[in-house]
Amino acid sequence: MGKHLMKLAYKILAYFIAVEVAVQASMVVLGDAGLFKYIEQGGVLDKAAAESGAIQFPEFFAFIVHGINGMMVIPAVALILLIVSFFTKIPRAVGAAGLVLGLVVLQVALGLLGHSIPALGALHGVNALLLFSAAVYAARRGRAAVVSTPAQPVRV
Amino acid sequence: MNATRRRGARIRLALAGIATLAIIGPLLWLWQSSLMPGTYSVMDMGYADHGGAQAMHGSGHSGHLAAGPGGPSAPTRSLNEFIADPDRKADVDVTLVARKQRFKLATGRSVDGYTLNGTSPGPVINATAGQLVQVRLVNESVPDGITLHWHGVDVPNSVDGVAGVTQDAVTVGGSHVYRFVADQAGTFWYHSHQVSHEQVQRGLLGALVVAPAQAHAGTTDVVALLHLYDGARTVNGREGDVRVDASPGSRVRVRVINTENGQTSVWAGAPFRLLAVDGTDLNDPGPVRGTAVPLTAGGRADLEVTMPEDGSPVRVHIGGPTGLVLGSRSHDAPPVPRPTTNLDLLGYGTPAPLGFDPDQPDRRFTYEIGRRPGFLDGMPGIWWTVNGHMFPDVPMFVVAEGDVVRMRISNQSGETHPMHLHGHHAVVLSRNGVPATGSPWWVDSLEVPDGDSFEIAFLADNPGIWMDHCHNLPHAAEGLVAHLMYEGVTTPFTVGGPNHNKPE
Ligand SMILES: [Cu+2]
Repeated sequence: MGKHLMKLAYKILAYFIAVEVAVQASMVVLGDAGLFKYIEQGGVLDKAAAESGAIQFPEFFAFIVHGINGMMVIPAVALILLIVSFFTKIPRAVGAAGLVLGLVVLQVALGLLGHSIPALGALHGVNALLLFSAAVYAARRGRAAVVSTPAQPVRV
Repeated sequence: MNATRRRGARIRLALAGIATLAIIGPLLWLWQSSLMPGTYSVMDMGYADHGGAQAMHGSGHSGHLAAGPGGPSAPTRSLNEFIADPDRKADVDVTLVARKQRFKLATGRSVDGYTLNGTSPGPVINATAGQLVQVRLVNESVPDGITLHWHGVDVPNSVDGVAGVTQDAVTVGGSHVYRFVADQAGTFWYHSHQVSHEQVQRGLLGALVVAPAQAHAGTTDVVALLHLYDGARTVNGREGDVRVDASPGSRVRVRVINTENGQTSVWAGAPFRLLAVDGTDLNDPGPVRGTAVPLTAGGRADLEVTMPEDGSPVRVHIGGPTGLVLGSRSHDAPPVPRPTTNLDLLGYGTPAPLGFDPDQPDRRFTYEIGRRPGFLDGMPGIWWTVNGHMFPDVPMFVVAEGDVVRMRISNQSGETHPMHLHGHHAVVLSRNGVPATGSPWWVDSLEVPDGDSFEIAFLADNPGIWMDHCHNLPHAAEGLVAHLMYEGVTTPFTVGGPNHNKPE
């Protein structure tokens, strides 16, 4: 019973990360679009305004969501996914969760290093696709296990 | 067979448990060891860095909140002893009453924040060099308590206004008197240093102008204090342009103060001279045009514009489309696009004696800013580091009175940091290895962009315990804080405690 619960938790957490990656992609473009519209309409954003703690244009919230999701929520969920993976009997669950966590760490590093070296920001975009794929791959591990269950001999 | 399977399952479960503990255990340990006590002295924070000099009292100062460097045998003085002459009568006597209230900007925008004598920014305090300034601060209704820090004025340590370091926060109903001699003419500002990242943003600040003993005749003097209220960009608390009367051919000194957490820039529609930075006159500043002056968070820049003889007005931009319009009040001046070049202070003006030899330092320090994941008082995050250490395990820079101190400030953290040293002005010697060739560039607030490094030097001539922190105030709250401490000086104040002192 606990095992099924773990399997379900694993699947939900992995899909959650995939959805979160999609949210991240949409948030960062939403923020950029809002910023460019703001500039288009004559707005000026210097560091003083950017750091003033107030919202200069309505879509600014998207950058805040991107930051909180990327540096807090996704890493925490990826860590929980790895822990849950220890308790499922899904084949290669631990490996898939480890891969997801590794790509999350890489993603955060690329995101922050992109502040200094913008080219690394480009890799941040590509790595997002890898992370999304890895999360979906992990989520579908459980399905593979279900399919293979009847193949195992049942003892009474 | 069943038994084997069950044993296998049990072993699997045990292994899973061990793997979980192997992950959670160290995290819990890191979390637990990051928790700060409710009350602590900054003297017990981090580890002593003597800058290569022989430690006077041994090295009993290491680790996270260990015992302070002042051994029992060391002669110690409380920082409360560092005061202005108590028998001298005040030349400038001001009372500032702080309130938490809703107030209106000139444009009618309503702001929920803090005021001093009913306004934000608070009143401009004007003094003449050499005068004794006395300010009585009354807290009428700011629940977290308040202090006033005299940003850029090298005051005696006891009136530096840092809650938990040089005084207790002034609680509601309480008051506190600050007394200091304003011995250097220049542009300064004052702000709360209690929960400063919130109180400064919401308005507990104002300008302090110290005029030279011999006034420059025929110059119009104007303060331009930049602050954003709920995102509304203001100069002297007004949205839009500030208009200043100036007759053709006259000179206008514009004292720009950046009270924000981020850098801004200043440029003008006419040639100008940059007379002073951070309250210190530059030597022999020449006229410039088509260039912007970068202005550090917390920093000041004094520009002198000579009004065109043909009577046309001049616009001075502060970071954006608005700023000041100098000239007649009825004629507008067209906006000027921001120049693509910045005035580089490394080579502006001509050299002058520093008053000490920075090539013969008594102490050499490194202040290297980085960033790494960890826990800050139990909060997971990616936090700033000083010399690789995270708050509170940061260096305590220890000096002796009279020392010539050299410091290398470098930044590899991915973000720019406006670094502010209390109680001293430091001179910039070089940036990224390129030596300064212009006027002595004295700063109290220095923008250190990501990837850059500066060599600075200062004379340790103002004993006390001084904060040396990032003036992007939320960064200070995120742990980008260290202290400069004079040997033998102690503080009776603690962070936390009954007054809930919280300087950042
Ligand atoms: Cu900073």
